[in-house]
Order: sequence, then structure tokens, then C-alpha cells
Amino acid sequence: MNKLYLWGIIIIAVMLGATYLSVGGSKGGLNDDIVNMLAITGAVALVIITVFVVIKYVRQMQVDSASGELADENWDGIGEYKNSVPTGWAVMFLLTMVWGMWYFTIGYPVNSYSQIGEYNEDTLAHNAKFEAQYKDITGDRLIEMGESVFLAECKVCHGINADGIDGKAANLNKRISVASVKHVLEKGSNNKLLGMEMPMPDRNGLLNSNTGALITDAEIEIVSAYVANGMSGEGADVFAGACSMCHGADGKGMEFVAPNIASFSPALVSTILAHGKKGVIGVMPKFERLNDKQKEAVGAYITSISK
Amino acid sequence: MFHWLEKHPFFFAVGVFLVISFAGLVEILPSFAQASRPVIGTAPYSTLELAGRHVYIKNSCNACHSQLVRPFKSETDRYGHYSLSGEYAYDRPFLWGSKRTGPDLMRVGNYRTTDWHENHMKDPASVVPGSIMPAYRWMFTKNADIDTAFAEQLTVAQYFSVPYNQSVPMKDGSTAVVKMGSSVVEANAIALEEAKVIATDMKDQDVKDAVDRGEIPEIVALIAYLNSLK
Repeated sequence: MNKLYLWGIIIIAVMLGATYLSVGGSKGGLNDDIVNMLAITGAVALVIITVFVVIKYVRQMQVDSASGELADENWDGIGEYKNSVPTGWAVMFLLTMVWGMWYFTIGYPVNSYSQIGEYNEDTLAHNAKFEAQYKDITGDRLIEMGESVFLAECKVCHGINADGIDGKAANLNKRISVASVKHVLEKGSNNKLLGMEMPMPDRNGLLNSNTGALITDAEIEIVSAYVANGMSGEGADVFAGACSMCHGADGKGMEFVAPNIASFSPALVSTILAHGKKGVIGVMPKFERLNDKQKEAVGAYITSISK
Repeated sequence: MFHWLEKHPFFFAVGVFLVISFAGLVEILPSFAQASRPVIGTAPYSTLELAGRHVYIKNSCNACHSQLVRPFKSETDRYGHYSLSGEYAYDRPFLWGSKRTGPDLMRVGNYRTTDWHENHMKDPASVVPGSIMPAYRWMFTKNADIDTAFAEQLTVAQYFSVPYNQSVPMKDGSTAVVKMGSSVVEANAIALEEAKVIATDMKDQDVKDAVDRGEIPEIVALIAYLNSLK
């Protein structure tokens, strides 16, 4: 046997022995895990192939001698043979060209990676999952979802307890504040977005049928407190005379005529979230990036806390 | 030819350089030019907004707040559409920032309002419990530098062709015109008109009085700038 082969076998034995010593003793061992076994098999194959390929070329260097036709070029006495390209190289070169054409015309344009593409896929997958998971969500779970959305998006203005942080935003623990009712009575209100064709008139169009005259300052004062107090206390007669025609005797509103001013409804909250609002306190921006389910959930949450 | 090139390494290097440069130009330049154009809906900053931008830079807001929404679902849920390079077309310099101690402000104009900013700049913890952002009370008394903002407008209009006094397309298909004064006096008058609109929505009486007197406190300019971030 050639000395070279002997060395090869010794190197293989040493390397495999070292691998076994370092891996075999570790936690999990060699037999527990299929991945470990695959890795070890791969390592064995790699070591054996490497050593024998190296031996082949070392032997070739030992016995081969250079021959062939020299090219014209000569760099400081170092020449170059005019050998034909090895078949393997030529095939690989042609295949690379074919692949390049495919990649340039089809592979890249059709299939290229882009960050935005990944984002779009993520978003589609997320939306589909959200849709499937929360399609039939109702009741307490809807309110829970609403609370979490509220805490993420709404609390910076309305406060963690939805109390409006000292008048910085609407207090959502009650349907409407005295100031808001007064503001609406003075200025009127356009409820088109809620599906009501007729706007609510300002005070110059509000007739109190009890007295047969336009609503007065004193009556505005009383009825504002009455409405803000959740339809209780003084002022029921003014409400009955001036407001109940459209808002109903209990203030629950009428479809296509006037909104519910006794309590919140998910539809009202969804509309406000979709379009924003300008009220007595200031401007509320719209929250277009919430999806319909989230808007409905916020509506359910606010309806539940305002009761 | 290749034998000749192999014998002349200098010209070989020149040839390689030319081929790679050409490929680079063809690949990179068109998409770069396209991406750096202002997107539809991006308008130049008005005088007051630009003054507010200077306040923003002067107080190093960009040290804690980024202006770059990355294309991740979690970010777009929170801040809105991811940023496009053309949206920074009129930002000199852009204020991407490198760190978010506070939230991103790229589109803060979409979900915060004038009076929220007023409350927040005066006392951040009053609207965001536990906020570590400092209060910026001096902005309510110091006046904004409109002259410098106007100088910047003049410069960018002249040297970078920023379209002031021209119609720019908006997202809803309409067009908008951002006015630039023809003199410092006119620029100040235009800024004051904008400031009055902002001050109407504010509650601080001192600020309202200052605007009535014809002064423009820094906070008004800053809020105008923040509201313009959409």
C-alpha cells in the first residue's frame, strides 16, 4: 500500500475519532436525534471524500508531466497551454447562460423577492386569519376586543378609564355631556353619515310644542342637564315638547330620523371612528386603519361602559 | 481583441469599469429617479410648517422620534401606510431618525389633533400616563422664526425647483397650491393667517392673544408642522 493512502486513512480515523469524542459525549448523544445522526453521517462522508480527492490530485502532481501547445502570451517566462475547455466547465457555462436568460426574463420579474411583496403577503395572511378567527365573535369577547383596541388607539385622548382626562376629550362613560347637548341645540347637527337625510335644526328651528314657542335659554339649560343625566331629573316636559318628536320619548331615536341620545350604539361609534368628529371639545381624527370588526368591537365596548 | 486586452491590463481595467458602470446606470438610475419624485399627495411645506420643522429640529425631536414607517404589519397597524421615498421629496434634511424612544411621527397628523398636541407639549404625562417625554413649555412663549423659514422656502424654490405657488396633485384627485410670499412681509402675513387657523383650535389664552397681536409662538408653528405629517 502506498504511504499516501496510509496517511489518508490515519487522518480519517483521527478526524472521525475527534468528532465522536466531542459529539458522542454531549447531551443527547448520537442516537437520540435524527438530525444528529444525519449530521454525523454527512461529516463522515465529507471527511472520506475530501481525503480521497486530495490524495488523487497529490498523486497526479507526483506523476504527471506538463505537455501541449503553448499560447502566444508569455508573462515573465510563465506560459499558458492551449487546452480545450474541460467538458464539465463547458456544460456548466452553457447551463449558466440558459439559467441567466430564464432568470432575466421570467425568474426575476415573476418571482422576485421584495420587502413590500413580503409585507403584502403578511398582511393578506394576517387579515385572513383575523377574519377566520373573529368572524362570529360576539358578546363579552367582542367587548374584550374593543377594550384592547380602545387601550391601544383611544386612551391617549379619552384616557384609560374613558373619562376624557378632565375634559381633554369626551367622557365616554356617559352618552353625552351637558356642554355637548347645549352645543348641538345652539348649532344644530348634521346626521347624514348616520343615514339621516334631515339635519337637526339649530335653536331657531326648535319648537317647544308645550309652549308653542321657540326653545328658550332656560329650557336649553334644563333639557341639556336632563339628557346628559341619562334622561332623568328635571326637564322631562321640555324634552317631551321639543325633542321627543324625533328622538323618541325615551331618547332612543328613530331610524332614518334621529340618533339615539340615551345610549351609545356600535353603529354610531363605528361611524365616528370611520369619519372622525367635530364637537364642542374639538376635533377627533378618523381611524381608518381599524378594520370593521375592530370598529364594531370598540362600539360594543363603549356601549357597555356607558350603561 | 481579447488577446490584445490580456496584454494591456490598463485598458482591460478601463473596459471592465465601463461595462460595470453602464450596467449600474441602466439598473439603478431609472428606479432611483422614479422613487425620489414626490408621490401624489406630498406638498411642499408652507411657511408656518417649515418654521415648525425648524422648531422640531432645534429641539432635537428626531433624537427620540423617527419619521419612517417600515413595511411590517405591526408598524402599519400602529402608524399607517409604510413610508415611500417620494414622501421625503421636500424634506431637507429628512428626519428619519435612528431611534424610537417615543413613537414614530411620520403620519402623526392623521391621528392626533391640535388640542391634543397642545396638552401633550405642555405636560406629556397628563395625556400619556407614565410618559418620559419632557414638557416643552417655552414653546408657548417663544416666537417662531418665520424669516428663516421664508429664506429656506426661497432657496429651495430657486435651487431645487420646489413647486411653491404651483398646483400639486393631491390623493383625492384635486390639486393644492402652497403659497410662498414674494417678500418677508408677505411671508409673515401668510404664516400669520395659517397660525390663526391653528390658534382657533387651541385653548391656551396666552397663545391665542399672541396670535391676535400678530406674533407666532413656536408651539403654533410646531403643531402646524405635526398636523402636516400625513
